[in-house]
Parts: sequence; C-alpha cells; structure tokens
Amino acid sequence: MAGEPISITPTDDPGKLEEQLVAYLDGELDDAQVRHVEALLATDPKVREQLTRLERTWSLLDRLDRFQVDETFTRSTIEMLAVAAEEEAERQRAEAPRRRRRRWLMGIASLFGAALAGFLAVAMLRPDPDRQLLEDLPLLEDFDELRQIDSVEFLQMLNQEKLFVKDAPDEG
Amino acid sequence: MLEVRGDSAEAFEELMLRYQGRLVTVLEHLVGDRDQAEDLAQEVFMRVFRARKSYVPGAKFSTWLFTIANNVASNALRTRFRRREVGFRTPEGSGVGSPWDRVIQASSGQMPVRRMDKAEMRDMVRWALESLNERQRLAVLLSKFEGMSYADIAESMELSPQAVKSLLARARVNLREVLEPYLERGDRLAMGEEQKPSADDQ
Repeated sequence: MAGEPISITPTDDPGKLEEQLVAYLDGELDDAQVRHVEALLATDPKVREQLTRLERTWSLLDRLDRFQVDETFTRSTIEMLAVAAEEEAERQRAEAPRRRRRRWLMGIASLFGAALAGFLAVAMLRPDPDRQLLEDLPLLEDFDELRQIDSVEFLQMLNQEKLFVKDAPDEG
Repeated sequence: MLEVRGDSAEAFEELMLRYQGRLVTVLEHLVGDRDQAEDLAQEVFMRVFRARKSYVPGAKFSTWLFTIANNVASNALRTRFRRREVGFRTPEGSGVGSPWDRVIQASSGQMPVRRMDKAEMRDMVRWALESLNERQRLAVLLSKFEGMSYADIAESMELSPQAVKSLLARARVNLREVLEPYLERGDRLAMGEEQKPSADDQ
C-alpha cells in the first residue's frame, strides 16, 4: 500500500505501527515500507515481540473448521435454480406478445412521424403561387396608374418617398 | 463465468461445486449457524444466477461472489437483530463463559488444570472470532480463508483499501487481546509453572 508515512516508531502512533505490522504480515506493504518495518524489527525487541504475538494469534485461526457441503445441498440448489430458470423463461414468453405489440405500435408511430415531418418539410419548401399573388396585390391594384410611368428609376424614387404606402383606414 | 453468462447449466454447476464449501465456511463463521449458512449460500447462488447477464468479463468472480455474500449475510444479521433472536449457537455441552473457563470448570479438584485439547482450542478461537463485530469478522474471514488481498476485500466489502487495512489491524489486535490471556495461561501450565491445588493439599 503505497503513500503511507514511513517514519513510524513505536512511541509515535502505536495504532499506526500495529497497522503496518499487520500489513507487513499480510504482504501488503511496498518496498520502502517493508524496509522500514524490518529496520524496526532489527533494532527494537518490543516491536519484534508485537509481531510475534500478532502472528501467533493469527495462526490460531487455522484451527477453525472449514466446511464441506454434501450432495443434498448441491442437488437442492440446482433444483432451485432450475425452477428460477423456468420462471424466467415463462416470464419472457409472457412478455413476448406484449413486446411484439409494443414494437408494432412504435413502428406505426415512427411511420406517422416520418410522414408528418415530410409533409411539413414539403409545405415549407414548396413555393406557394397564392402567396406570390398576395405579395403582388398592391401592385396589381394600382397597375393602371403605374403603367403610365415609363422609367423604373422614377418608380424607385417615388417608392423611396413612400408615395406607394397606402393610408391606414380611417378609424374614426 | 462467461459460459454461465451464456446460460450454460453445466458451467454453473461447476462454479457451484468449486465455491460452495468456501462460501458456506465464510457464511457459517459469519452468522454462527450452519443451517442458516447453507440457506444463505443458496440465496447467494440464486442472486449470482439472476445477475449472470451483468457479470463483467475480466472481473474476479470470487470478489463478486463475496460481495453478494456480504450483502446477503448483512441482511440476515440485521433481520436477526431486529427479531432479537439468539445470536450464536453455543457448542454442545457448553456452559457460561469462555471455552477456557469451561475447561477449568470441567476439571476435578484432584487434577491439575490440563491443557486444552484441539476441540477446546477450536471452540476458543471460534469464540474469539465471534467477539469481533460483523465487519471485522468478515474482513478476517476473507483474508484468512480466501487469501484475498486488501484491494479485493475492499471491493467485496465496498470499502477503501485503507479502511480494510485499519479494519484488519483492529480485528487482529482484538483477537490477540481475547486469546492471549488463555494462551499464556496454557503455556504456563504446560511448563509446570501453575497448578491447581490437589485435594490432599486442601
């Protein structure tokens, strides 16, 4: 375990020292930490004694039973799992028609959505002949007067003077 | 496990045969009851089966298995605590106090206190393990019985490796404090430094 402070002495922090000793016994220290612990062990008999005591009680755990299970356990567990697998398969079979129906509905909805999007796109992009007529309506209404003027530049000048703006209807 | 993920029943059975003893061992020492440990082990295998599709290739199966075992055992112990059931089954013919106390009580006044035999020592160690809290006990079991690294224990218990390091250190110090007085007394008896007075002396 890298990054730990390595200047621990028995008097500095007994708890931390014990942690380091246990980690040392478990092979969990990095090289620098191992060297530090081994230097302590070489020079301090109390630390050696602490390590021996930790090691001794740890080895006592080897006396604990390690259990084996018999065939009954294995057989009953396999049977339980077989039942669970069957239930899972049954659930999936029951879900299948609902999933198919859901997929069908989603397909129809997608088709409608695509049709709508296409319709809107075409509607926006296609030029509207009626719209053109509406835009030209003021011109058409005054066509007879405007036909009298030969010069386009004169017309533009009149337009700049806002002479072609129709008066608002009298609100009074 | 990849074959199990692919719904191979034979692969699952093989996995079970490989791990069932180890799983029951850890669970038994965790919950203190053999029957419950087997029930919990079956629950663990059931969860592994149900979650098989979410297994990540390359992940260590034992770490994943004992993560689930930790969760199952914790839930069981929590339920037991809420129901205020009896905690651990005491060994057959046991009385009050530690196994060492029972050895002393069992000895007659005429005989010196004998050394503990293997079964009594095993009971003593088991009693010491049971004196740890649940997290310390599980960390000890995974370290001792499964030989897991701190990193793997951390993953199974959803802790940091540093937390596991501290947990194991405290657990082992606690075990030492519980067991040492009896070990020292046993040593003194073996060396003849201590003897219970015989009836003739009294």
